[in-house]
Amino acid sequence: MSTEIVPTAQDLADIVGQVWSSYLDTEGTDPLIPIEESPSTDIVASVSITGGWSGHVVVSCSDAAAKQAAAAFLMMDATEVSADDVTDVLGELANIVGGNVKSMLPASSMVSLPQVVNVSGGSVRWPACVQICELAGVWREEPVSIAMWQKTDLADGNG
Amino acid sequence: MKILVADDSRVMRQIVTRTLRQAGFGDHDVVEAADGRQAFDAVNAEAPDLVISDWNMPEMTGIEVLNALRAGGSRVPFGFVTSECTPQMQQAAQDAGALFFIIKPFTADRFTEVFTPILG
Repeated sequence: MSTEIVPTAQDLADIVGQVWSSYLDTEGTDPLIPIEESPSTDIVASVSITGGWSGHVVVSCSDAAAKQAAAAFLMMDATEVSADDVTDVLGELANIVGGNVKSMLPASSMVSLPQVVNVSGGSVRWPACVQICELAGVWREEPVSIAMWQKTDLADGNG
Repeated sequence: MKILVADDSRVMRQIVTRTLRQAGFGDHDVVEAADGRQAFDAVNAEAPDLVISDWNMPEMTGIEVLNALRAGGSRVPFGFVTSECTPQMQQAAQDAGALFFIIKPFTADRFTEVFTPILG
């Protein structure tokens, strides 16, 4: 059964703001500066939510942003960041945002383990899903996007 | 004192440990567990003075670990650090005897607030 409870763009912005102030902009000097268009990205990290609300929470960014995020999370120099560090940090980032989104949803909702994919300028699509909101921006001059995709109700049809 | 940090994310175990240090609890020994089963076993093997656990972990969830520990007679101080927080989860944690419920992302100030009464 579908639900009317759908996280909004403002909800997403609030969650992302907390993540930035806790881990990626602790000094208040590196905010995520909003941009209008979806940026081209290289790394896509996502968690799926199923149950009362079904969809995906997706964090994507450039290679350089991913390395800087890993360095910030792990408090190390970006030049020392390994591929595993990037995967683990981007996965954790998706997990934190997805977990907070899930907290707004019906209790029956479940969050999957994170998945991290290197798409190198390509994109990832989810069948029978529509993007309901996106927070696109530039962080340390590198593109970052946090988006929510909602499963469409097949019974309604679309297109 | 000995603190067990249980989280399936290596990054989050590292962040919890670092935040403990930033909050002024760097003098305590930290041991780690990478899933719920490891956490349960580590409580018996390491006898920690405090368990800081993720909720959603492979093998056993955090609440399953807590319930199993209490069923086995362990009274170790135990609480959750999790990105998911629903009233039902908080109620389940409280009913099982959890001492705290910290939501990710968290700050060192939040750790100070929660852990000072426990760790002194």
